[in-house]
Amino acid sequence: MTQIIIHLKVGEVMNGKKQHYRIIPYIFLIPYFFAFITFRFGPSIAGFFVSLTRWNIVGQAKFVGFQNFIDLFEDPNFIKSLTNTLYFMLLTVPALVIGGLLIAMLVDQKLRGRYVTRTFVFMPYVIMSTVVGVIWMWIFDTHFGILNYYLGFFGIKPIAWLSSINWAMPAVAIATIWWTIGFNMILFLAGLQDIPNELKEAARIDGASSWQVFWNVTFPLLSPTTIVVVMLTLINTFQVFAQVYVMTGGGPAMATLTVVQYMYVQSFQYYRLGYGSAIAYIVFIFLVGLILVERSILKKSGDIN
Amino acid sequence: MIVCTIVAFAPILWMTVSAFKPEGEILSYPPQWVPLEPTWANFAYVLKNFNFLRWTFNSVVAAVVATIIVIFIDSMAAFAFAKMKFKGNAVLYAVVLSMLMVPIQVTIVPLYLMFSSVKLLNTIPALILPTAGNVTGVFILTSFFKSVPRDLMDAAIVDGAGSFRIWWSIMLPLARPSISAVAIITFMSNWTNFLWPLVSVSSDASRTLPVGVAQFFGGQSGVSGSAPQYGPAMAAALMATIPAIAIFLFLQRYFVKGIMMTGIKG
Repeated sequence: MTQIIIHLKVGEVMNGKKQHYRIIPYIFLIPYFFAFITFRFGPSIAGFFVSLTRWNIVGQAKFVGFQNFIDLFEDPNFIKSLTNTLYFMLLTVPALVIGGLLIAMLVDQKLRGRYVTRTFVFMPYVIMSTVVGVIWMWIFDTHFGILNYYLGFFGIKPIAWLSSINWAMPAVAIATIWWTIGFNMILFLAGLQDIPNELKEAARIDGASSWQVFWNVTFPLLSPTTIVVVMLTLINTFQVFAQVYVMTGGGPAMATLTVVQYMYVQSFQYYRLGYGSAIAYIVFIFLVGLILVERSILKKSGDIN
Repeated sequence: MIVCTIVAFAPILWMTVSAFKPEGEILSYPPQWVPLEPTWANFAYVLKNFNFLRWTFNSVVAAVVATIIVIFIDSMAAFAFAKMKFKGNAVLYAVVLSMLMVPIQVTIVPLYLMFSSVKLLNTIPALILPTAGNVTGVFILTSFFKSVPRDLMDAAIVDGAGSFRIWWSIMLPLARPSISAVAIITFMSNWTNFLWPLVSVSSDASRTLPVGVAQFFGGQSGVSGSAPQYGPAMAAALMATIPAIAIFLFLQRYFVKGIMMTGIKG
């Protein structure tokens, strides 16, 4: 009896004896898997099937194959949302990555007050997305916003930030950069601190200038971190939604309409569930594509190294 | 460095200052950094006219419960993945990890339909359950458990400990740093979640904080279409932010740790 009990209790058998009747591992897995299948895996698969239908929640779902996807690529609004999102990424990703690195390097040096800076630069990150939007709406206000006030000192006329087609996206980009740059800073800091000082010292002793030290020692050693930062930044900026939604609602004249917002609008305001799901799947494919592209760039540069 | 600090902090300071300005003063020109007549009126206005406390309550409850659930089920699953031999270990783990690449947007519509059909839309469970399926926690904890040397476990087995004992008394305490990182990540992820709460909750009293705050200016669901009231908006923003900043200042170490773990996952 005792033998059986022990074997049932212990999920792992020493001496390499294998038994396939053990249920313990599955007991450990079941709670998570229940949640995983029900709320993550299942819906993801279901989402694909919904995207193959035309469905407006009250009626019957009608199977239309890939028609939704075809329609999407002929939909000027969708294309606009796509180009807007890419424009947003163009405005934010370089700043977030390079800026994050620069600030991290700054804070990495043994200067006084570095902890203060580190804390304050990161602090915005804990603020909720919509609150960030609300704060910056106030800052960007055309007539009473504080930004235009200070710009006035440079002789710049008040800019209608959030209501001008040209400036709305940059405004959202600025708010987003302020909000999330701390995150990249922390990641880069971790990477920087992993670089042994002796290497940098050695290079300096050999007569390398600061720039050369950076380019030939620091930067290459930082590349795993850089890759992660770039990837995460790309992924997150592509999915931008909340702060744009609050600041501009996608306007003016759809100048800041992002892909995720378009998906939201189609799914839950027009109740075109199939169409909206198709958009979501395109987001998915896009992101997978991004990741794969980055991986292959990785491989290439890895070969060179 | 000073510039960075100032630039980073200025908007937060401005929000704080603006929150205390009375109606007339907030639109004053040129803008003042120190309110001439500080007032609590904006805060009172927010609390009276909006379900602010209710939203906060909803957000807190949802985030806390979700985090607790995640810690338990993720650590159990991670323990199994990392330390137990069973059929399908590698396959199941690969399936789980594959979901890391899938953005949540694809799940939103089906989740909505699912919750709607069991009449659980617009409820607190709706705000909690989807987070339970998150993959990041499992990934982080499995990686950690994999790094724990076998001897610890084997010693316990020899002593006659069952799996649950091992998990509870040995693995969990060991994993404290990883667990706290997962806790922070999960909490923040649930707390700041916007798209799903926006979609799943329709009655104002069940809203979460981010969605409620979004109301002040609308987007699509505007409260007032005319001149927005910045004073109350800033008061609400401040009230929503202070707890987060306080927690951050207290738990800075864990935040930083949590982020670095997210980095490792890439």
